[in-house]
Amino acid sequence: MRRLSGRFRSALIIGLQGIRARKTRTLLSMVSLFLGVLAVVVVQAGASIANRALVSDIELAMAVDGTTIIGMPMQPKATTVVLDTVHGRSDAVAMLGLQAIIGEPNVSPVNPGASPFDEDWGGGMVCYGNGPCEPSTTVAPPGQAVEVRLTAMTGDVRPFRPLRPQTGEWLEFGTVPSMAPRLVVNLEAAKGFTRYKVPAEMRIGGAAANITPQFVGVVDDGDMQPRAYVRLDELTAWLPTANLADPNTGGEMQVLVAPGSPVEQVLTAKLKGIGSETWVQTIDAKKERENELKLFRLVFLAMASLVLLIGVAGILNVGLATVGERVEEFALRRAVGTPRMLLAGIVLAETLLTGLFTAAVAIGVSAAGLKAVTVVLGDSEPFLQGMQFPWEAGVAGIIAGLAAGVLGGFVPALRAAGIPIATVMRA
Amino acid sequence: MTALIELTGITKVLKGQQQPRTILSGVDLAVHPGESVAIVGRSGSGKSTLLSILGLFDRPDAGSYLLDGQDISRLPERKAAKLRSSHFGFVFQRFFLLKHLTAAQNVSMALVNGQGWLPRRARRARVLQALEQVGIAHLAKNRPARMSGGEQQRVAIARALVREPKVLLADEPTGALDIETGTAVIDALLAATTRGCGLVLVTHDRDHAARMGRTLDLVDGVLTQRVNA
Repeated sequence: MRRLSGRFRSALIIGLQGIRARKTRTLLSMVSLFLGVLAVVVVQAGASIANRALVSDIELAMAVDGTTIIGMPMQPKATTVVLDTVHGRSDAVAMLGLQAIIGEPNVSPVNPGASPFDEDWGGGMVCYGNGPCEPSTTVAPPGQAVEVRLTAMTGDVRPFRPLRPQTGEWLEFGTVPSMAPRLVVNLEAAKGFTRYKVPAEMRIGGAAANITPQFVGVVDDGDMQPRAYVRLDELTAWLPTANLADPNTGGEMQVLVAPGSPVEQVLTAKLKGIGSETWVQTIDAKKERENELKLFRLVFLAMASLVLLIGVAGILNVGLATVGERVEEFALRRAVGTPRMLLAGIVLAETLLTGLFTAAVAIGVSAAGLKAVTVVLGDSEPFLQGMQFPWEAGVAGIIAGLAAGVLGGFVPALRAAGIPIATVMRA
Repeated sequence: MTALIELTGITKVLKGQQQPRTILSGVDLAVHPGESVAIVGRSGSGKSTLLSILGLFDRPDAGSYLLDGQDISRLPERKAAKLRSSHFGFVFQRFFLLKHLTAAQNVSMALVNGQGWLPRRARRARVLQALEQVGIAHLAKNRPARMSGGEQQRVAIARALVREPKVLLADEPTGALDIETGTAVIDALLAATTRGCGLVLVTHDRDHAARMGRTLDLVDGVLTQRVNA
């Protein structure tokens, strides 16, 4: 072990001396290798970023990997079972989907059916001043009201769905419920409230009275429909639990369950017991996306490998020429007791170090390029915000550099090890 | 006293494309610690081949080679490399200094050879000591291009001495130097013998040969003792 360590250090010291002595050649080798390693790094980084972008969209719209989503229609019995089961738990959050209209009473909302503001999906409902709502097929005059999908939550959903904060703050679940329910709206809803100045009066089918909400923040949830998030316990002060499942509006309930939580089993059993239909999905986005990207990644990596091979040929060429020039040096080193293996090691150390330096430069250039892209495009592409250079790309670059060093240095190393020692005697 | 080196009946035949040619024919040679031996002879007489066999660069076709009483005539390359490092120091006609390294780094080359590891400080001390032995410690940081031929050869001698070898093998070390510088180089080599190091000097120069303890003539592969005048 000690001998190996001594040889390793010797190879490293002599290799570095060789590189310092032949800076131009080393630079030429690096130039020939640079594009190949850069190609590998860029392909790997691109694939990782694409994968991350796809996964982050899924995480935003559905849930993080490993989360189990239990979906069911919102029926009074099912609602009670769900709320009882997840009450006080941090490993499961129930999300109840409701319709709400915020704005003037007795008017059709500007976006019936909570349509996106620049599209008209039709449908929706109209609510009257004293509470009751009915489908908007009953003609009502259009007015200053906005219809949103209202998501009432039993707890903080962000550990399951990393909603991206835009402005303001997120809902605080550890405080006493407010009588004026706090709302966090998504970007589409924020667009609507910016475009249409509506009174802060919220109507929900089944509510005891109209509610005056507080808008506390805006998040990006990846949803194209206007949506508002609210604490369920703040909503139930105005909307009794029994009325959550409005027969007019229907609605859907979801429970997000952390991996390994017993809630999934308990809840599905209970819901089955009351005859409620459920559907269960476990998010495995990374694997799915990786499979989708695998082919692309392989094709691009194959092309990058070809470019890398050209770089290897460059190193090989320079390496052979250098060994040819250093015949006397290698023979002399053998004369002073350097074993053949170490001679080969010296040449390999030089090409490996060259490969490593090249990889470092290629990784640096790629990281700087990514930084520039995130600075320029970060505002328009949310997934680029806070994007770090993927470590997988760095590892791939180092492996490519080392592999190129080994491939390019192998033949010159063999040749150096085979130089006859008597060369120094005949010189 | 046990001989440091003992060659008996060493024969080397060059097997080329033409007729095999006998380079060394039954050479017997013994070198004792602190002894200096000069080998003289015409070009092509086999002096360098003999030195190659002594330095374990090459193997004899016949005969035995004892080093410290141990037969090393059929040593595998790995062990030969170890012995070259631990027992031998080499000085060549051309100095073979690496021009991109300083004098100290050139000397250090013999220490950074994969045969044991010395920490940097200990290495530096050994290198400076070797350079001092040949009187050029003040040139430690100079590169070969900034040194004279004599100084370069002294660096080469320091490189040969730095591992404190038991035998110094010098192949026409003064061949590229003027008389005065050559004499100084021989002085440096002989100084090593006072510390018990054996010296085998291959030379064409009769004057330098005359300063050695013994002079041997190699004629057509046969070694004969010459009586110094």
